[in-house]
Amino acid sequence: MNDIAVMDVTFTLNNEPASARIEPRELLIDVLRENFGLRGAKRSCDLGVCGACTVLVDGLPVSSCSTLAADVAGRSVLTIEGLGTPQALDPVQQAFIEHGAMQCGFCTPGMVLAVKSLLAAEPSPTEEQVRHYLRGNICRCTGYVKIIEAVMDLAKRGARLKTNP
Amino acid sequence: MDAARHLHNTGEIRGDYLEKVTGQAQFASDVVIPGMLHGRVLRSPLPHARIRSIDVSAALAMPGVVAVLTGADLAELSAGRNSHWGLYLRDRPLVAIDRVRYVGDPVAAVAALDEFTAEEALDAILVDYDPLPHVTDAREAMAPDAPLLHEKMDKIQNFYFRGGTNPVEGTNIFQHYQYAHGDVEAAFSRAHRVFEDSFRFPMVVHAAMEPHVVIADWREDSITLWSGAQSPTTVQKALSLLFGIDMAKIRVITPYVGGGFGGKSSVKIDPLVTALSWKAKRPVRVCLSVSESMLTCRRLSADIELKTAVDAGGKLLGKSVRVVMNGGAYADTGPAVAVKAAIRAIGPYHIPNLKLESYAVYTNTVPGAAFRSIGGPPAVWATESQMDVIADALQIDPVDFRLRNMLDKGGLVKPDLRPIDVDMPGMLRRGLAAMDEAGGNSRASGVAVAASDPGIHALGSALVRMKIDCSVLILTNTIELGQGAHGVLRAVASRVLGQPLARIKVATPDTDLAPYDWVTGASRSTVIMGLAVEEACAEISREVRQLAAELYGGEAAAYVLADGGVAGPNGFTSLLDLMVRANGIDSGEFVGLGRITPRYRNGDFSRMPLFWETAVGVGETEIDVETGEVRLTRYVSVADVGRVMNRKSAEGQDEGAAIQALGHTLYEELVYEDGQPLNASMIDYHVPAIDEAPREFHTVLIESGDGPGPGGARGMGEGAILPMAPVISNSLARQYGVRVRELPLTPERVWRAIREVQRDARRGK
Ligand code: FES
Repeated sequence: MNDIAVMDVTFTLNNEPASARIEPRELLIDVLRENFGLRGAKRSCDLGVCGACTVLVDGLPVSSCSTLAADVAGRSVLTIEGLGTPQALDPVQQAFIEHGAMQCGFCTPGMVLAVKSLLAAEPSPTEEQVRHYLRGNICRCTGYVKIIEAVMDLAKRGARLKTNP
Repeated sequence: MDAARHLHNTGEIRGDYLEKVTGQAQFASDVVIPGMLHGRVLRSPLPHARIRSIDVSAALAMPGVVAVLTGADLAELSAGRNSHWGLYLRDRPLVAIDRVRYVGDPVAAVAALDEFTAEEALDAILVDYDPLPHVTDAREAMAPDAPLLHEKMDKIQNFYFRGGTNPVEGTNIFQHYQYAHGDVEAAFSRAHRVFEDSFRFPMVVHAAMEPHVVIADWREDSITLWSGAQSPTTVQKALSLLFGIDMAKIRVITPYVGGGFGGKSSVKIDPLVTALSWKAKRPVRVCLSVSESMLTCRRLSADIELKTAVDAGGKLLGKSVRVVMNGGAYADTGPAVAVKAAIRAIGPYHIPNLKLESYAVYTNTVPGAAFRSIGGPPAVWATESQMDVIADALQIDPVDFRLRNMLDKGGLVKPDLRPIDVDMPGMLRRGLAAMDEAGGNSRASGVAVAASDPGIHALGSALVRMKIDCSVLILTNTIELGQGAHGVLRAVASRVLGQPLARIKVATPDTDLAPYDWVTGASRSTVIMGLAVEEACAEISREVRQLAAELYGGEAAAYVLADGGVAGPNGFTSLLDLMVRANGIDSGEFVGLGRITPRYRNGDFSRMPLFWETAVGVGETEIDVETGEVRLTRYVSVADVGRVMNRKSAEGQDEGAAIQALGHTLYEELVYEDGQPLNASMIDYHVPAIDEAPREFHTVLIESGDGPGPGGARGMGEGAILPMAPVISNSLARQYGVRVRELPLTPERVWRAIREVQRDARRGK
């Protein structure tokens, strides 16, 4: 094991500078969870298709279970822990609570971050756009009904902000 | 204002939302125990084989590998005890001993310093297999010359469910259930028409987003587990028998669980992980991948044959139900599933002559197990599809046909069961009206109804502790896996103890601290644990009011618990002041115990079912005639839940169950070929995605207030999984004249059915 090369990776993590000594094969999800203790990103399918491990890299959603940690060097990673705290929730988090848009909550961190990046690109998406954008985030519990309600509520607020900034 | 306080103060019933939305919630797969090793499981690549030999020396020699567990270890581990476990039949070894019975059967397990090393070590284990003939189809497994999976049937009685199973020795049949009332043959012979229809329901998997995970810490005379288990107490009992350690020394802690749907109930990977910890003499964490979870358990697939007699006026005269269920390699709770599948095929109808028969059969496939409404979806899919087939043949409106035969409240589905306790005709009418109100057309919609008898054991207790500051701690082994049970318990405690929700906490379930609860499943927690908490809080309330009356005068009945203390004839006193006055110091607490047993309410809780879980579905579909692709566009789901304890959660349960059913209706099937599962991964096995949810979903929750639970609540959360398949199938038949009798309704199957209808039309049939 000690003959494996290690490397240092430096990046921005939740708006703070971060660096870690890693093996080149290490995945982003493991570095976030083990090295930084950020356990909000969840390992589920482990194949990059379910969205539970979603984090934002330079604002775009990526599956941290299939991203090499080495690949985020110099980039900015946002995890659910960096989005909002119980004392200062992000509006997306607030909307998920208000609408009861979660059950077991295992998909929730990834889902919330995916919504965050959608709204950053398009503050007032149509339901069609929401359904298209969130296709890669599987939720086995909710049937999506309340997730769509929460996001459309945010979209309505986004539209209001657009017209009366 | 501080957002957390703000949320609690606005009465958010569920304390877990805030933790989950911020990534703070601790799931079993997030737990880290100092010094823990990481385990991986080597699984059989063959459907059926003898193990000639296993060579673990190369794996053990790898740096970082601490231990490898194989069947050769079991003699020492079990030391005269049985190394097999099960729920009805002791048919499953802790790890394969000399034989594997399905692709995925655990053959060995490795504990290493990290997961990567454990995974690599699996490749270094050499297993020499001698293939045996295999069988993956239940009907073929019932044939006299079929390969036998288990040579003996080692029965267990009253272990998890009441009673036992009725296997047929020398065959693969591990459950054969029969029931009859009236004379069904006579009914068939004098009927106006007799309809015979067969339906197939596929193997589907739970696909909870959090896979199975256990951390086991085996010590000389104790075991501690952090497990995503739906029944920590059953895990405790099973481990006690396997390892010869007293139940009280086995501790099972259950943090938040990332979805279960029955796939984590009874006992799953806990014995294997504990055995690996025994071998490694260290705590070991095994967290499966979802693909491995798919090889751990699934719903029992089914072939259902219905023979139904009607008179000229459209009255049901008699019905026979025959169900053959594919139970997989180990029985698990399959025997109960088979019984329920037969009973749940009756429906909320008066059937004077009835015959039920069901089988659960061993095959070389993933073990079948409980899954949301055991046996229910196959049963209701068959029965409610046939109801439309019959109505169509008799040229009666399908809703009319149902109403002509439907039981009123108090009617008997089956004479040995509690009379149906909801107004089903009323529910059906509400569903149709809701569809029309939503802008749909109920007369052109697919419709289905369901009545299921939850297999609930009324056995569960709660401890409630109220501190001097009036904060409240609830100790329960009812787990929180997303359904919102802990929120309901907080709401109950808040009401009885008069304290705001923000002061009420439910402790992480821990068998060292909280009293016994049977299982978190079967829609039982709101009723059983809800009542246990209500009783425990009532005990505290009585004690506080009694004490206040003694110290401040008047009758106990004149006092009520209020925010922070107790209010009486002479005004408000804080609990702190009361305690100082009573005990001399500002310390102490009140403790209440609530205990629900089958003897509760003069034995009424021993009567099955405790309540009926019912559902009505009304849906509209679209079909792409060119591709055969089906979409559900608008759906109405109705349930009489007695009392809504938390609207968001209750609606969410209903929606989630219905969309899970959309999965088995349109997309999901674990496919076998040559004994191999072809699609056991999230890439190849498609569960519904967000763009497949219907444009409109309307949940109608009826609050008749007459359920057995707190405030007249019934359990819920399973019913809505039942009507979806027949709703969609009946809608396709109504609109397009196609009737597919095999799920899922894949584009290919639907397209072929459309072609057939078109061909028949051209031939002038
Ligand atoms: S809330 Fe459980 S998977 Fe989405």
